[in-house]
Amino acid sequence: MNVLILGGAGMLGPYVARELAPNHNLRITDITPPEEDLPGEFLLLDAADLDGVVAAAAGMDAIVNLSVLRRDRQTAWDVSTRGCYNMMQAAVTHGINRVINTGPHFTVAGRHITEILDFGIVPDIPPQPGTNLYALTKAMGLEICRVFTEHHDISVQHYLFYNFKDPAAIQPGERYAPYVISWENSAEVFTLGLDIDLDALPSRNEVFYVFADMPHGKFSNEKTKRILGFKPRQDVEILWK
Amino acid sequence: MRILITSASHDRSAALADHLASHHEVRLTERAHVNTEHEFALSGLGHDRSTNLLTRGIDAIIHAVEPLPEEDVSSQLDAATRCTYNLLMAAAEEGVQQVIILSTLELMAAYPPGYRVTETWRPLPTTQPPTLTKHMAEQVGREFAREGSLDVRVLRLGEASDATVADAVIDALAQPASLAAQHRSKEEGAREPWLITHVGERPQ
Repeated sequence: MNVLILGGAGMLGPYVARELAPNHNLRITDITPPEEDLPGEFLLLDAADLDGVVAAAAGMDAIVNLSVLRRDRQTAWDVSTRGCYNMMQAAVTHGINRVINTGPHFTVAGRHITEILDFGIVPDIPPQPGTNLYALTKAMGLEICRVFTEHHDISVQHYLFYNFKDPAAIQPGERYAPYVISWENSAEVFTLGLDIDLDALPSRNEVFYVFADMPHGKFSNEKTKRILGFKPRQDVEILWK
Repeated sequence: MRILITSASHDRSAALADHLASHHEVRLTERAHVNTEHEFALSGLGHDRSTNLLTRGIDAIIHAVEPLPEEDVSSQLDAATRCTYNLLMAAAEEGVQQVIILSTLELMAAYPPGYRVTETWRPLPTTQPPTLTKHMAEQVGREFAREGSLDVRVLRLGEASDATVADAVIDALAQPASLAAQHRSKEEGAREPWLITHVGERPQ
């Protein structure tokens, strides 16, 4: 499969590229050059550049969007919201029907509302990001994707993450978020997302929480395991054991 | 009441300013210069102190969410999302009491003709303006209301005269959204400072 990765030179990108490279042809883009050699072709590209994103998607079978800029208001909206619009326009233009988008957990579960109070938080809730810049810009991107899936034959899988860990670097007693995964384990879900029969997805717009099995039960990764076949590694358990 | 109206270059904003000016202090703003007899402030609605200054001392904002002439879709989307966020964030910081977002009943046009579509129904935007941009502006405003930092009222405008729209705005200004929500909550259990009102005929 020919796969366009947007924002592939960031923190998660190299892990995803190494995971996918053995079985896919990769075209990786980012607004800055990668700090290490990545497999496949690399293009400098701003996700907010509509014409550039459309051009980069030519000949692709799938788009994976890893782009994120969370601190500056202009770039956060450019990348997380307009970037999704550009990605979906590119998918429509080239007839690409498989898109994987990414974001933080509070794209749907705003931290003011659920994380402090609740348990068993699932991804299939009405998005309630609040006004946090990162959460809201990603939520608006998700909503744009959802609207496009209502009008076009495109399936979008949204993989939401919270906290990434390098198992080898975890220190005894280290504090951790209620939703953790190792970098390598997180990359594995993208293979599943590219392989899955799109008709096996419940709808054309599906949200998944991607993280290791954790004992406290704050969030639920059950849907990710059940539908995508995701297998959490047991490589971050030292955090609570 | 001091009222700020956005999208000053749009006919509806100009008409609203004319209607409201007799009983209120009106300030118009736009992302490009506009000639008007009303008080006017040029603002890109950016993330800087100027947007706070634009909203300082304002009691209510009427956010029309209209494009500039010849503006491309991507820029319209940017204005409807990022600029709305900047405006509402500044409004919350400056203690503005109420924001009225002028949206469109085109959002409900995809429901079959003859259906009695109400404000509680899910909007059905297309992937193009104006429904996509108005919908996204609504979504941004909803999060401010959800957090209680602003009273946000959405007027989804259908086929309606300027006078009808002005009357709807005046009604909205007279009844802050939070009070209306509290009143409604007695019947529906809702307590959010967020209200949607359909104005005029739904396009079908």
